[in-house]
Formats: sequence, structure tokens, C-alpha cells
Amino acid sequence: MELAGITKRFPGVVANHDIHLTVRRGTVHALCGENGAGKSTLMKILYGMQKPDEGTITLDGEQVTLHSPADAIARGIGMVHQHFMLADNLTVLENVVLGAEKLHGIGGKARAKIKEISDAYGLGVRPDVLVEDLGVADRQRVEILKVLYRGARTLILDEPTAVLVPQEVDALFDNLRELKSEGLTVIFISHKLGEVLSVADDITVIRRGTTVGTAIPSRTTPKQLAELMVGEELPSPETRESTVTDIPMLTVEGLHLSATDSDGVVRAVLDGITFTIHKGEVLGLAGVEGNGQAELVEAIMGMRSPDAGTVTLDGEDITKAPTRKRREDGIGYIPEDRHRHGLLLEAPLWENRILGHVTERPNSKRGLIDTKAARADTERIVREFDVRTPGIEVTAASLSGGNQQKLIVGREMSHLPKLLIAAHPTRGVDVGAQAQIWDQIREARHEGLAVLLISADLDELIGLSDTLRVMFRGRLVADADPATITPEELGSAMTGAAGGHLEHHEKGTKGEKGEKGSGGKPKPPERGASSEPRKAGTSPKAKKPGNTNRNKSKKNKKKRRR
Amino acid sequence: MRRVSTITVAGISTAALAFTLSACGSSSTESSGGSGKGVGLAFDVGGRDDHSFNESAARGVDKAKKDMGIDNKMMTAKNGETEADREQRLTSLADAGYNPVIGVGFNYAKSIEKVAKDYPKTTFGIVDSVVPGNNVDSITFGEHEGSYLAGVAAALKSKNHKVGFIGGVNNALIQKFQAGFEQGVKDTDSSVQVTSQYLYPNNDKGFNDPAAAKDKAKGMLDSGIDVIYTAAGLSGNGSIEAVAGQKGAWAIGVDSDQYQQPGLEQYKNSILTSVVKNVDVAVYDLIKSVKDGKPLTGEHKYLLKDDGVSLATSGGFIDDIKDKIEAAKKKIVDGQITVRTSP
Amino acid sequence: MKKIDKNRLILGLAAPVLAIVAALAITSIIIGVTGKDPFHAYQVMVEFGSKADSQVWIINKATPYYLSALAVAVGFRMNLFNIGVDGQYRIAAFFAAVVGGALTLPGIIEIPVIIIVAMAVGALWAGIAGLLKTSRGVNEVISTIMLNAIGASVIGYFLQDGRLAKKEGNLIHTPYLPDSAHFFEIPTQTKPIYGFVVIAALAGVAYWFLLNRTRFGFDLRTVGQSETAAQASGVSVKRMVVTSMLISGALAGLVGMPTLLGVSYNYGTDFPTGIGFTGIAIALLGRNNPVGMALAALLWGFLERTGTQLEFEGYAQEIVGVIQGVIVLCVVIAYELVRRYGLKAQQRKVGEELAAQARKSDKAEVSA
Repeated sequence: MELAGITKRFPGVVANHDIHLTVRRGTVHALCGENGAGKSTLMKILYGMQKPDEGTITLDGEQVTLHSPADAIARGIGMVHQHFMLADNLTVLENVVLGAEKLHGIGGKARAKIKEISDAYGLGVRPDVLVEDLGVADRQRVEILKVLYRGARTLILDEPTAVLVPQEVDALFDNLRELKSEGLTVIFISHKLGEVLSVADDITVIRRGTTVGTAIPSRTTPKQLAELMVGEELPSPETRESTVTDIPMLTVEGLHLSATDSDGVVRAVLDGITFTIHKGEVLGLAGVEGNGQAELVEAIMGMRSPDAGTVTLDGEDITKAPTRKRREDGIGYIPEDRHRHGLLLEAPLWENRILGHVTERPNSKRGLIDTKAARADTERIVREFDVRTPGIEVTAASLSGGNQQKLIVGREMSHLPKLLIAAHPTRGVDVGAQAQIWDQIREARHEGLAVLLISADLDELIGLSDTLRVMFRGRLVADADPATITPEELGSAMTGAAGGHLEHHEKGTKGEKGEKGSGGKPKPPERGASSEPRKAGTSPKAKKPGNTNRNKSKKNKKKRRR
Repeated sequence: MRRVSTITVAGISTAALAFTLSACGSSSTESSGGSGKGVGLAFDVGGRDDHSFNESAARGVDKAKKDMGIDNKMMTAKNGETEADREQRLTSLADAGYNPVIGVGFNYAKSIEKVAKDYPKTTFGIVDSVVPGNNVDSITFGEHEGSYLAGVAAALKSKNHKVGFIGGVNNALIQKFQAGFEQGVKDTDSSVQVTSQYLYPNNDKGFNDPAAAKDKAKGMLDSGIDVIYTAAGLSGNGSIEAVAGQKGAWAIGVDSDQYQQPGLEQYKNSILTSVVKNVDVAVYDLIKSVKDGKPLTGEHKYLLKDDGVSLATSGGFIDDIKDKIEAAKKKIVDGQITVRTSP
Repeated sequence: MKKIDKNRLILGLAAPVLAIVAALAITSIIIGVTGKDPFHAYQVMVEFGSKADSQVWIINKATPYYLSALAVAVGFRMNLFNIGVDGQYRIAAFFAAVVGGALTLPGIIEIPVIIIVAMAVGALWAGIAGLLKTSRGVNEVISTIMLNAIGASVIGYFLQDGRLAKKEGNLIHTPYLPDSAHFFEIPTQTKPIYGFVVIAALAGVAYWFLLNRTRFGFDLRTVGQSETAAQASGVSVKRMVVTSMLISGALAGLVGMPTLLGVSYNYGTDFPTGIGFTGIAIALLGRNNPVGMALAALLWGFLERTGTQLEFEGYAQEIVGVIQGVIVLCVVIAYELVRRYGLKAQQRKVGEELAAQARKSDKAEVSA
């Protein structure tokens, strides 16, 4: 496949400009670029959803024009979207044949075909399971199978690893290699450079709407690649100096929450959750999605009422307090799903600035909304947090994901929270915005903010956290020292494979470790930026908060054993 | 937001401007009516083709057209109308030059009173109600007397000795029907049991809800009642339909001779008789008086003795008891029997 | 900024213009199909509708419609479909009439008492639906429809001779309000305008202020836009549902007041029904905007006023109903189209401006 000189103009703006992309058959080709660099426009062109203004698409030497996705599918191009397009209440088989009933019917022939594809590429898909019972990785494989079922020879995968844990990523890459060996072509979009380098045969980097270069993985370091992508030096999520104090800010004790699932079975979603976050401490919570993290956050926010346990914020018991009181008391909240929980998409930015803080200044005075002050403060947030927008009257929906997130971070930080709950704060956010958000969290932490950080990006989690906990099936099953743990080790604890609550580290359990080495210690170079000197220069005023921390975790362990 | 409000403010001011400018313009009611365009007839709910009350009024208008070549305009009310709607309808008719303007049904009472004052040169007619005003002809009927005769027929024809009355709306007018009917039954055969029920306590929908009447009639039939007299305008069709579904049961119609109604053709063999309210006669009288330049005004009662009400004989089902009915009629006309107007 | 303003203006006007043009086109076709001249119909309507007494009639007619639309719109703004405004205003007007008929107080007290009773009864009646929704999860559409029927039966029970009402000829109604309860009228060269139009206007202003300028209104709109975001932001969605139903019901309580205090002075069998449903159409038409709804209510009144006149010109009586329906449909569709287009245009514009910014700062960089 070859794309030459692709240019796509929207009125007044050039989204893609003179793109050149050559994909060899039977390879995995990675497409890298920041969000907003023009990757998605390019993919839409490839998938027939948009037509280029200039340039040509050549498939197997034949110049083609793609009018619609159906056209693309007919020519063997299939797409696996970042957000899965599956009907939860249907089986895998039904999902796969949906819309493609003409190919192999909906009965035995279709099932046989699914089996055949699944076996051929080692996808391990069971056709009669309900999609709602499947995990994220399985769903992704169903999506891939759906595309293959429709006869695709070229697969486009949009950010496929965003939702996966490292082990699942490896499994996915095995699948991709399988596909490749069968002669299929994979176009792989990502901005996780380590992954790109490990799986891709060729890499094309896009920046600001145009191809800025290609790279061969074996001859490229992540750092080079990243700099190619961003056009500047790469930020790092690392926290260099510890600011952890021994003043508890949030104490959660014995939190228990049960819920009734779809089968009517009552099960514990949160079970005996106990932890403390101190002023100036970032507590990172690792875990595969759906193991209770979301429920824990909602319980702390007061959006769910737990059956048992207490939540104490800054010495005050807030277990029974409504959400609004908690927010007024100083909990900042960066929600996991910003579209559902963090924004009013069709409201202008300044109204979004009021959201969640309607009772606080400058948003309102004596029960009345102070639109003037709120607008002015929104302007300030836009300026200070570098929200790229033409104005504060545009709707939140018209901003890119990164800028939406910056607005949310700016809003939450503007109220000087005591505790920040940050759930996936940089998900779907481009590298530039990511760095800013990290900076914000670090800065606030420096001033005594306590942070509960939840992230699927293990590098982020390890890099930012002072303390790590792993959550599995509603329980805190392990803790780890971010200074020494590797994503792989963390990953195995997240899948429950690492068994139980003990610290997993080759060098011994955490309880025996004498120091909590967060001060100035270099991290393993996963993100290829270990040598970045940004904060290394400042002399580590590392306090030794490890004692309290360790004691606490010992206590926890005792509790859990009971 | 701010900008939107500027737009809207601009919008209002333009609208307000246009409003004030045109408000200085003429009024739609400047011509004072009375120019003789023909008859204006305003129906209550149900419309001209209710096979009953409205249709009877329409017949009078049709006859006037045939005999005297007088044109007409008929308009119909919707369910859930307000006073303003009725006033407007009458005003429009008067304003367009129709004379007389007749409100068919007591719902028009208030509005006729008001509009008649605005159009002193036009003669107004109101059916079933008494309205003050020296250019208003208030037409009422002896429904109780007609209903008495229906009661006589029902008592004589009922095999089970059980008869029923269904009223559309429980108001003074319909109670007249009920009172006469019950008295007629009891005077004829005191052993006959009368059940009287209403479709709605106070909603005019009762004159426009055949389904409700059908249900009510079915209930009565199930309890052994075999003659049902329904005074409910258009709703009566439902009751007749239900009765026709049961062998040996009789329906008594109201207002028009419902045996003759083409719309009820298929049920006509179950229609024992009808208490005919000769609205057509009254309407015709009024039209003629206006044409002759001596418009009728004041209260006009159309009683049994004036043939304002009568019992229809079409179908011949009551021919066998003709004598007894005639006897009862004579007693009323002579004043030997005074029929009550409320139960 | 300037450019966005212009676009906004164009977009703001596009929807109503589009809707009106489409509605006119469709109605013209319908009238044409019935074999009549549509343009003559419009001419008749405009001529008749602009007469002085027509204008008074239209305003008087539009006043309860507007109040009804406000009541519906409060629900709409938070995604609640209060289909029960009809029952709420009737039961409110009924009990207000009963209370007013039983009291003889100076007007300055009597009238507020009647209005407050009406608002309280309306709120109570709507509040039942709110409570059912929050406590038992009963959809408010179902419960308010049921409450309409129950309300009608309750009125039917009490509105009988010897209970809370008395007979007058063929009509049954509650006792007349004392003269002190007659609301003032605004005299014009023809008939007077109900003084209640002032209250309606004030209610419109209050509605705007409450929704756009208070914390409460912000919370309410937040729930309407995204329940999940509202919850996360600290709004108690359940309490909001009940509160907004109470407000909606209280506004609904006002709907019957122009008639009660300005025309009939009692609640009788001839009390107007169905205004609650008209309110839904008007709220849709006016896009829940206080000014928009006022214009929509006037438009409705205009159509009803001129519809009768069309009958004289030989057009079918039903044509006005058709026009009303077509207009509502066209408006809803047009706004949705324009909204989507506007959102897309805005997204594009944002992208465009950002790209322009980026290009400026991009000069020095050379790709690797």
C-alpha cells in the first residue's frame, strides 16, 4: 500500500499535508504522532471515511479511490477502533456476523468460519460467549476477528494498547506477529514508543499534519523517536524528590461496598480497603480496569455509599458527607471518563469551569452565579494551563481531548485541593499536554497536596507515585516501591498471578527494605528519558517518610490476614 | 450566551414594534353585522353528523335553504374549548354578516350573552338554555315530557322488567331526560326497575365518547336490563351499537329519529323508538322569523303540546302499544300529569 | 472572536428561518393538495390576525399557554418530561377556586392567597411524580399521565352539586370568587387584556434568572446536560428531580389563573382543558428559551385566532391543526440540524485556529 502526497484540507485548515506513507505487505507498520498530529484524519482517509483533496492511494500497484468504509472493506482494509464497537448483550458470534450476514450466514457456517480464523491466527475466540462477560483484551480480539471475518488483508489498529496491561500487550503483539506471518499487513497507531519499537517493522512519524520521517526500529532509540514525534525534548513522568510528610490527609479504613451484578448475585466490589495518603504524597493505584478502582474513587467522592468503613479527610470524618460537601472541603477530581463525569460537552468552557465548584468563588456569590468572574477565571485557566482554544465561549466538545483534560486539571487545581483524585489523568492526551499535567501534579504535591493516582499507564504510575498499591478483585493485594519495581512485575500482580499481598521484587520484599528511595534515584529507562536532567539537578531534600508508610502497610497486612 | 440575548432582545423589540404599529390599525369587528348573509350555526362537540342533536338543528337549516333559499355556515367546536374560542366563533359568524347566529347547545350560553351585546342588529339563538338579551331567542324543549313517553314504551316492552337510562353528562338538562323517563316507567308499571347512570359527572366529553357509552350499555345488558334509553348526543351511537349486539334488547334513541339515520342503518332494528327533539322546527321558526323581519326573541319552550318533542314511530315497533302512549300523551297535554324536570 | 460572533448570529437565525420556510412550504403543499390557494390563506390569516381585537385575543390566549410552556420547560431543562402539567393546572385551579370562593378578603390578600394555593397544589401534584421517580424509579412520563387521569377524577368527584360545587343552569361550578379577587385588566381600544399577562412576563423573567443566574439553576441545567457529570460535580440528582418537579408544578399552578381570576371567576365544567399539552408543543417550539416560548405562545394564539377565519374562506377546519403540527416538527428538526452543523463548524474552527497558531510558532523547526 502506498499513499503519496495526500493532502486534506478542511475549510481554512490543512489537516494532512503532503503525506507519504509506504506500507509493505506482510509487515507491521507503526504510525506515530501526537494527538492532533493528523493521524486520525489520515486513518479516515485510508478507511474511506474521508476523501483526500490531493494525492493518491495505491493498493498493490493499483490506484484506487475509496468512497466509503464499505469500499475500503471490499478492498481488504479493516479498522479496529480505539473504542470498541461491540454490543454487550450479544454473543461473540452475533457481534461478528452483525452487518455481515451475507458472507457466511448467521449459523453453523459462520461459526465454523470464526473458529477457522481464530485458530489460524491464534486469537482464541469463543464464539458463544456474551461480550459483556469478556475482558478488554478479549474484546479487542473479537474486534480484530470481526475485521478479519469481513475479509480484511490490511488491518488498521487505532491505539490498541491504551487499555491493556503489559501482559495483554505482549499477547496482542504475538497475535500481530501471527497475522504478519500469514501475509497480512498491520498498520498500528500508537504513541507508546517502547511498544512501537518492539513490534513494528517500519515506523512513520507524523507531526503537524505531515510525515516528518521514517525510522527502522532496530536503529532507533525511544528518545530519538520521541523527539522526532514531538519536535522537542521529551518529558518524563518521574518524581525526583520526595515531598511526603507524615501528616495524613486521606484515611480510608475498612471500606466495603457490595453490588448486585447482572445475574442478581451480590458480590463485594470493594473489600476491606484501608490506606492512608499523606500530605505531599502521591499514592498510585495499579490494577486492571474493573477491579474496583472506579468504585473506590466514587466511594471517596461520595457518589456511592459504602456498606462499611470510614473515610477521613484532613482529620474530619466525611463518610456520610454528600459529594458537594466533599468537593467544598477540598477534594479535587480528575475523572476517569471526562466526557461522562468531568464535562458538559455542549456547554461553553466557562460553564465547564463552574462545574463541580458552583458553590465556590469565583463562580458564585450568595447563591448567584457570577458569570463575569467565572468567565475571567476561565480566561486565566486557559492562559495558565495552556488550554488551546480560540475562546471561552466555544463548547467543550470542540476541544481536543488533551485540551479538555487541561481545562479539567486547571479547574480542579484552581480550588487548591487538599486531595486530588486523578483517574487516568493523561489518557488520550498528547505528549505535550501529558508533560504539563504531570508538572501540575508534581507542583501541587510539592505544596502539600495528597494525590490518589489511578492509571493504566504503568510508567506514569511508577514515575509519579511515592507509594504503589495494587488492586485486584476489590482488594488491595500488594504494595510496591516505585523506585525499584518494573512494569512487568507490577503487571503480574495486577492479573492476580503474582499471588497475594506480598511485595514482589527480586531483591526481596518491601517490608525488609531499609530505605524508601525516591530521592534522586534514576529510574529504569522504559521511556528512554532517564537521563533527562530537568529535576535531577536540584538537591534532594528527601525526607524519610518511609517509616510511617511502612508501618501503615504492615498494619494493613495484618488486617488483611485476619 | 450574552450574544444570544442581544439577538433575542432585538427580536422582541422588533416584534413589539410591529405589534404597537399594527395595534393602531382597524378592528376586525368594525362592521356591525346584520347584513343578512344567511344562517350561522355553531355546533357544540360532535359536529353536524352526530345522528342526533346537532343533526336535528342542521335539518332545520337545510329546510330553510330549500324553502327560502337561505344560505348558511356551520362551524363545530373541538373538545376542550375555552370560552374565548366559543366567543370567537360566534363573533366571526356575526361579523361575517350571518343572521341569525345560532349556538346549538347549552355550552354557548355564556358566549351568546356576551356576543349578542356586541351585535345588537343580529338575532342570536341558543338551544337548550335561557339567555337574557333582547336580541336572543332562547329555545328550550320539553325533554322531560318526551322522555316520559319513552318511559311508558320502555316499561311496556321490557321482558325482564328492567330498564336503563344513560346520560352523557350529569347536568340539569340531561337530568330532565332522566326524570321524565323514570316517572313514565313507574307510572306505567311500578314493578319495573329503572337504573340510571351517567358517563361523566361534569365533562362535556360525555356527548362525544361513544366508546364509553358502549361500555356502560354492555354493563347494563349484562345485568339483565333489556331496554336502554340513552341521552348523550353522539355518544348514544355506542350504546345503540351495544344494544344491537344483544337479541331481544331495545335501544331508545334521542333528539333525532335515530331509526331513520343512515349512519345507524345497521342497528335500526334494535331502535325501539326515539325521543325526537324537534330542534329543526325551532331553528326553522327562528330563521323564518328573521327573514320576515319579525325576529323571535325571549324564551320559547317547545313542549309536547306544541310538537316540540315527540316519540318516533318509524319501524313500527311501538305500534302495538300506540294507544297507551297516546293516552299518556293526552294526559300530559291536558295537564293531568305534570312531569318532573329533575329526578 | 468577531468571526465567531457573526457565525453565531447566522446560526441563531438559521434555525427559525429554516423551520418557518420548511413549515410554510409543507403547509402550502398540503393546502394545495386540498385544492385551495395557500397564499390566499396566508393573506387572510395575516390580515385578520393583525386586527386590533385579534391581537388582544391572541395575547389573552397566549398567556396561559406561556405559563404552561414555562412549567414544561423547567422539566425539559433537566431532561424530565412533565407531561402532567395538564392535570396539575386543573387540580390547582380547582382547589384555588374552592378556597377563593370560600373566602372574602380584600383583593390584596385574596388574590395572593388564591395564587399561592394554586401553586402549592400544582407543586404537590407534580411532586408526587417526582417522589415516585426518585424513590421507586417510576418514569415521570407514566406517573404524570396517570396523575392527569387521577386529577380529573378527583375534580369530577368534588365538582358536583352539594360537594364543593353548585349548579347554575346546565353548568356546575365552584362558588364564584368575591369581586375582590378579580384581577386587574389592561384596557385597550377594543377588549381588555388580562392583567395576568404581567404575572406571566414576570414568571418568564424569574425562569430565566433562576436557570441562568443561580447556583440552583446551574445545577438543574447540569443534570439536564449530563446526569453523570452532575452527580460527580456534587449535585444530588434525586433531590434535583423532586425540586424541579415541584417548581414545574408550581408554575403549572399558574396556568389556570388567567382564566380563574380574569374570566370565569369559578372552576366549572366549562373550564378549559388541554393547555398543559399545548404547553409541551410551545416549549418545544420556543426551545425552552423564555423569549422563544413567548413568541411561540403568541404564534399559537395567532394560528388559533386566524384558523376560524380560514373556515369562512372555505378552508378545512383541521388545516390549523396541521400547520401547528408541521411547525413543531420543522422547528425540532431544524434546530437539531443546525445544532449539529454548528457543533461541527465550531470544532473545525477550533482546529483551524489552533493550526494557525501552531504554524506561526513552527517556523524554526526542521523535521528530522
